[in-house]
Amino acid sequence: MNFSGADRKRQLVTVGVGTVLMLVMAGVLIAGFRLATQMNANVAALQTASALQTYPNTLVAQLTSLRDRLETRAYSGQALADLRATVEKFDREMKQLGEFSHSPQFEQAQALWQQYSPVLDPVIDFTDQPYVDSDEEGSTLSPEGRTHYADVKRAQLFTQENSEPLQALLAGLSTQLQTEASTGANRLRVLLSAGVLAALVLAAAAAWFQLTRGRSERLAREAQEQTRDILRTVKEGFFLLDADYKIGSVWSDALTRLFGRSDFAGLAFEELLKDLVPPATLATAMKYIKLLWGERAHENLMKSINPLGQLEIHVETASGAREARYLQFDFHRVMGPKGVKHVLVSVGDITSSVLLAKELQESQENANQQVDMMLGVMHIDPVQLMSFLDSTETGLQLVNAILKEPARTDAEFRKKLDGLFRELHSIKGEASALNLMSVAHRTHALEDMVTELKKRPELSGNDFLPLVLKLDDLLAHLRSVRELATRLSNLRESAPTEARGGRSSGKGGTDELSRTLQSLAERLAKDHNKKFRLSVSGLADIPRAYVPTLKDVLIQMLRNSAVHGIEPAEVRRANTKSDVGEVRIEFRKSADGFELMFEDDGAGLLPEQLKAAAVRKQIVTPEEAAAMDTRAAMALIFRPGFSTQEQVSMDAGRGVGMDVVAKSVYAIGGKIGVTTNPGKFTRFKVSLPASEETSTAVA
Amino acid sequence: MIQESELKTFVEGTTNYFEVAAQQPASIGSPYLVTEGQPSVHEYTGVINITGKREGVVYFTAPKAMLTVLLMKMQESDFSHETMRDLVGEVANTISGNARKDFGRDFVISVPSVLTGEKPEIPAMPGLRSFVIPINWRSHSAKLVVALK
Repeated sequence: MNFSGADRKRQLVTVGVGTVLMLVMAGVLIAGFRLATQMNANVAALQTASALQTYPNTLVAQLTSLRDRLETRAYSGQALADLRATVEKFDREMKQLGEFSHSPQFEQAQALWQQYSPVLDPVIDFTDQPYVDSDEEGSTLSPEGRTHYADVKRAQLFTQENSEPLQALLAGLSTQLQTEASTGANRLRVLLSAGVLAALVLAAAAAWFQLTRGRSERLAREAQEQTRDILRTVKEGFFLLDADYKIGSVWSDALTRLFGRSDFAGLAFEELLKDLVPPATLATAMKYIKLLWGERAHENLMKSINPLGQLEIHVETASGAREARYLQFDFHRVMGPKGVKHVLVSVGDITSSVLLAKELQESQENANQQVDMMLGVMHIDPVQLMSFLDSTETGLQLVNAILKEPARTDAEFRKKLDGLFRELHSIKGEASALNLMSVAHRTHALEDMVTELKKRPELSGNDFLPLVLKLDDLLAHLRSVRELATRLSNLRESAPTEARGGRSSGKGGTDELSRTLQSLAERLAKDHNKKFRLSVSGLADIPRAYVPTLKDVLIQMLRNSAVHGIEPAEVRRANTKSDVGEVRIEFRKSADGFELMFEDDGAGLLPEQLKAAAVRKQIVTPEEAAAMDTRAAMALIFRPGFSTQEQVSMDAGRGVGMDVVAKSVYAIGGKIGVTTNPGKFTRFKVSLPASEETSTAVA
Repeated sequence: MIQESELKTFVEGTTNYFEVAAQQPASIGSPYLVTEGQPSVHEYTGVINITGKREGVVYFTAPKAMLTVLLMKMQESDFSHETMRDLVGEVANTISGNARKDFGRDFVISVPSVLTGEKPEIPAMPGLRSFVIPINWRSHSAKLVVALK
C-alpha cells in the first residue's frame, strides 16, 4: 500500500489553507485594532465636541453675569474667574479636538473661536481693581474698571452674536464625528464578522486536517500492521541492502529461522554469508552484489548469473546437529530518483524441492539404468548370462577376500592392489565381451580406484573405504541383473518353444565362448571405429578345464587386436590392404597337447615402438632398451604395466592385459609366444599340455 | 546406497573416542563386506539402531583384551564385566553423538544398547550387506559394523 503521494498533497493543501486563514485572521485583527483605536478617538472627540456646544451660551451667561455685577458694583472677581476658566477650558478642548479632527466644520469653528480671542482676552486679562470707594459717591468704577466694563460689554455683545453660529458649527462637528463613529462601528462589525468567519473556517480546516490526519494515521497504522503481518508470516526471508551492502532495519521473521540469528540490523551482507559459504563463493557473491549497483546492469541478465541461486549451507539446529539447507537468493534493485536506492533480497528455503529434484533425478537414473540393464541383458543368452553372473560373483568374493586380509602397514595394503586389479580386470573383460556395459563400467570405475591407490605414497584403511562402497554397489547391481535375468528366463520358458528358436541347443561352454567372442568383436569394432571379421575354428575341442583361462586369454587378445592391431580402414587402404581386417582363432590338438593360435592381419609389432613405450613407462632404462634385440623387445609386451596406448579406455591402456594373459597361461602349465611382421600380421601361439579332462572335452 | 561421508562419520566417531579417551589414535584396517548373514562379533558389542533416511544397525564390537588395555590406559582400576559393558556403550554413544551432529534430523538414532557374548541378538537386516571396518588400536583389533539401507 502507498500513501505517501496523496498524504503529502493533502498535508500541503491543509498547511496552505491554514496559513491563508491565519493571515486573514491577523489582517482582521490588526484592522479591527486600528479601527477600534480610531473609534475610541472619535468617541472622545465626540464627547469633547458635545461638551463644547454648551460653551458659547456659558460664555454669554458668564459675561452677562460679569456685566451685571460691574453695573451693580458687586463683587466681580468670582465671575471673572469663572469666565477665565471657561475660556481656558474651551481653548484647551478645542486644541484637543484639533488633534482628532481636521474636518471643515472644525476648521470653521476653530476660525470663529479664534475671533473670540481679541474680544475675550482684554476681559480675562483684567487684574486691577474695578471699583473705587469714596465716602461721597460710594463705590464707583475706577478708570480701569470703566475700561474693563466696556470690554465686558463688547465681549457680551460679540458672544451673543456669535454664540449661535459657533454652536451650530460645533453641533455640525458633533454630527460628523457621530457619523464617523457610526461608520467605524459598522466597519468594526464587518471586520469582526469576517474575523469570526475566518476563525470558523480555520477551526473547520483544523478539524478537517485533524480528521484526515487521523484517517491517514489509521491507514498508515493499518498498513504498518499489514506489513508486519506479511513480514511475520511470509516464508521467504526479505531484507534491503544499502549502498554499503548492509542490511536495513526491517526484515521478515523467516530470516531468523533460515539463518539461526536475529542481529540483522546493520549487518554486512558479507558477514551474513561468511561462515556459511566457501571463501570463493563469498568473493563471487560480493562481486555480484557490487555489479547490482551499477546503473547499466540488466536485471534479467544479472538474474541468470546469480551465484547464490542455489546455495547449500550447513546450519546448527537446536539439538546441536548440523543440517544441510539449500537457499535461493534473489536480488531486485529498488530504483530511486538518483539511481539504485536499495537492493531487495529475498531468501527462500528450497531444501525440500532440491531434495525432491535429487530424488527424482535418482529415480530417473535408476529407471534409465533398469532400462539399459534390461536392454543389455535381453540380447544375452540366459545360460551364458547366468554363467557370467556366477563367475563374476565368485570373482567379487575373491576381491572381498583380498580386502578382508588383515592389514596395518602400507606394504600390507599395497600388496592387495595387484590381486584386486587382476580380478577386476578379468571381470571387466568378461562383462565387456558380453556387452554388459553397466557391469563393465562399474568394474572399470573400481579399476580406476585401484590404479589411483597405486599412485599414492602411503596407504591406509581409509583409502579403501570408497573401494568397498563401489564393491557393494557392484554387488547390488549384479543382484539386480540376476533378478532381471531370472525374470526374463521365466518369461522365455513360459513362451512357446518355437518362439524361443534353437538357441539352447548349443554346445555348452565352447559355443558360449564363440558367441561371446563374436559379440565382443562386434562391440569393439563399433567402439573403436574399426572394420574386421572374426573367424574361429576348433573351439569345440577346448577341454572344459581350459575354457575359463582361454576365455580370458582370447578376450584380452581380441581387445588388443581391435585397439592396437587392426588399422583404421583408410590406413589399411593406403597400405594396399583390404578395408576389412581379419582376426583368426584356431584351436587344435598337437602332438603333445593342444595349440591355440590367435592372429590378426593388422599393423604388427614394431620393436622400436615397443622399446620406446617401455622406456616411457619406465619399465626399462633407455640403455637397457638400446641393448635389446628384437626377441627381447617383443617380450616387453608380457611385462606388467606395459601398454603402447596413452589413453586409458575400457579396452586398453592400463598396461595390464598381456602380463595377465601370460600368467594365466603359465598357471595352467602352458607357454605363449608371439611372432609378427610389421605392417602384415601379429600371431600369438599358446601351447597347452594334454589335460586330464581331454576326454571330457565337448566333441 | 550408503554414502562415503556417512561411513566416514561412523568411522570418525569411533577413532575419535580412542583419540580422546586413551590419547592414542586408532587406525582403521582394511574394510570389507559381509554379504551373507552377520559378521562375527567379539565379547562386547555396543549397538545403535538407525531409522529415518536410512534404516539399519551400526555396532562396535571389541574383544575383552582390548577393552582391558583401554581401561588401563584410562587409569581405570575396575575391570569388571559391568565396566567393560559401560565402556563399549560409551564408544557406541560417541558414534551416535557424532552421527547426530553430522546427519541432523534425517537420521533417527537410538540410545545405544550393549550386548555381550559371541552370539548376541543383533537385529537382523535381511538381504543387506554389512560393511566391516576393522579398528586397530595398539596390537588389538575391534570392528565397526555398518549395515544400513
